[in-house]
Amino acid sequence: MTPLKPRIAIVPGDPSGIGPELVVKLLHEEGVRDAADILLVGDAHVWRQGAGQAGLDLDLGPVELGEDQVGTHPGLGWLPLDTIAPQEVCIAQVTEAGGRSSLRCLDKALDLAMADKVDGILFGPFNKAALTAAGMDAEDEHRYMARYLGHEGYHGELNVLDELMTTRVTSHIGLRDVAGNITPEGVENAIGLAEDTLKRAGKTRPRIAVAALNPHAGDNGKFGREEIDILAPVIRSAQERQKDVTGPWPSDTVFLKAIRGEVDAVVTMYHDQGQIAIKLLGFERGVTVAGGLPVPVTTPAHGTAFDIAGQNIANVGATRQAFDLLVRMATTHRAQRAAA
Amino acid sequence: MSIAPVALTCGDPAGIGPEIAARARAALGDEVPFFWIGDPRHLPDGTEAVEIAAPGQAAAALARGLPVLPHPFPRPAIPGTPDPQNAQGVIDVIARAVALAQDGAAGAICTAPIHKKALKDGAGFAYPGHTEYLAALAGVDRVVMMLACDALRVVPATIHIPLAEVPAALTPDLLEATLRITEAGLRRDFGLAAPRIAVAGLNPHAGEGGTMGHEEIRVIAPVLDRLRAEGMDLRGPLSADTLFHAGARATYDAAVCMYHDQALIPIKTIDFAGGVNVTLGLPFVRTSPDHGTAHDIAGKGLADPSSLIAALRMAARMAAARAGR
Repeated sequence: MTPLKPRIAIVPGDPSGIGPELVVKLLHEEGVRDAADILLVGDAHVWRQGAGQAGLDLDLGPVELGEDQVGTHPGLGWLPLDTIAPQEVCIAQVTEAGGRSSLRCLDKALDLAMADKVDGILFGPFNKAALTAAGMDAEDEHRYMARYLGHEGYHGELNVLDELMTTRVTSHIGLRDVAGNITPEGVENAIGLAEDTLKRAGKTRPRIAVAALNPHAGDNGKFGREEIDILAPVIRSAQERQKDVTGPWPSDTVFLKAIRGEVDAVVTMYHDQGQIAIKLLGFERGVTVAGGLPVPVTTPAHGTAFDIAGQNIANVGATRQAFDLLVRMATTHRAQRAAA
Repeated sequence: MSIAPVALTCGDPAGIGPEIAARARAALGDEVPFFWIGDPRHLPDGTEAVEIAAPGQAAAALARGLPVLPHPFPRPAIPGTPDPQNAQGVIDVIARAVALAQDGAAGAICTAPIHKKALKDGAGFAYPGHTEYLAALAGVDRVVMMLACDALRVVPATIHIPLAEVPAALTPDLLEATLRITEAGLRRDFGLAAPRIAVAGLNPHAGEGGTMGHEEIRVIAPVLDRLRAEGMDLRGPLSADTLFHAGARATYDAAVCMYHDQALIPIKTIDFAGGVNVTLGLPFVRTSPDHGTAHDIAGKGLADPSSLIAALRMAARMAAARAGR
């Protein structure tokens, strides 16, 4: 049986940045409107602004839907919101109004997902300072979404570039604190996050490589023992459960395995270990997945790019990749919900 | 007058050193002036070897084969099995190359991989590695390891220590010495009149103003400020994750990194085979291929000479820059 087409909500992100422009560009990309039933969630003038910036007519015939029609309408629809006044939109500026609009649109999309009216969410870039000014009561948007959804399970950010996906055991902490935070539970969680996300993305038996913490993977304990004491036992235990998990691999060559297609994800130990490789390989194509949440959520990895906002030079590549990955994840999600 | 040729040491005769030397000559022809120091018996059968009596004969000999400055060893080589009786010869060849470089007969040295345990067991070799031995022969205390390919040069300030020990090892003294040696090397050996050095932070987002670690504020930035006041062109401390894409790489000549993998992840991801190991701070130019003795494949004709070829080319270019050409 052909899986049902996924229903995807798209929110523009901060209206001061390149999000609205990118979403309109995305809708004009080949194959996008066939891949999913798309629901634009946001203010009419913000979408029109995006169309103007992209130099593309919003001649897409978005059908204005009432809330009760959402989730039943095929093709492209639009759920109008009133989150920001047109005169409050200041291109390329951090504003409280921009942050508030970002959050209200996201909240609505999350509500729709929890009501089973959409199967996945794509959001345009947020501006962290604007979100904070608007009173976001969490460290970042990932924790915000988890809290909004009342989700208490393990969740976290995944970074994706083409065929390379990474998760991290530690993230925004000082390097001094990294080694002490490499725990068996943390490593298991990061492996599990990669596995679950890849399964959602359609990999039935994900191949996961675990990066080492120390140079040369510690060289048999000569430059550190975390590989022997923590990583190897966790990996062995995963293998005993018939999972395709390998490592710990020296981190200077582990990303080549992913590039060559030998593994689907790399579990990294600290922020820069994976981010150096991903940003080096494709600064303009990276995707962030808000992993572990009850609903699939993706976004382009880049920011609001105020330096180029409103100039119609923003590259839609990362947004396209975020959309394509979301379609795969949302398709699985819809099928699983239907089966449940 | 032409630049003096590069002296290539044999390294561990039981490793892939001899065979990749022969294959490098076959691939390079006479493009890079170099000669090999070792026992001709250790070269693979069928190698076109031309024995020379002095480095000055290398350039002419290259047209006919691999120029070999003979250094007899007590025993033939068995691929994959280092012979303790050959250990002293390996050490002597390194010393001989250094002597030739010191008196100007060799323009640079390029070292093939050694097997440290074999040298320790066979000849009581007391140095932790090649580089420390070279520094001792040259009488210098401090050298810097650089990894270089066409697209990127990186210098790890700390190298083979556990990640947990990196913050404590990053002293102002170490950073200052590393930056000074790197800058001098870029000027002298890479011909850069005004080297631009990017310095990575230690923490994510370079600490983001002290919210994720204080080493940038307390240790790195003060050293950079002090050296900038002397006129050095230093950028940073910069967020390491955005330091290595093509656009960023165009803004500097070398990146000084805080720990091994911060430097090695980008260079290996960009150029797995072509990375060359360069030692800066010695009184002579030294490069080496970025791999080990590979005992498991030695003698089977499988060894890839591309890193050695890159190391020979870079040694010759650096020698020319040092000679002012």
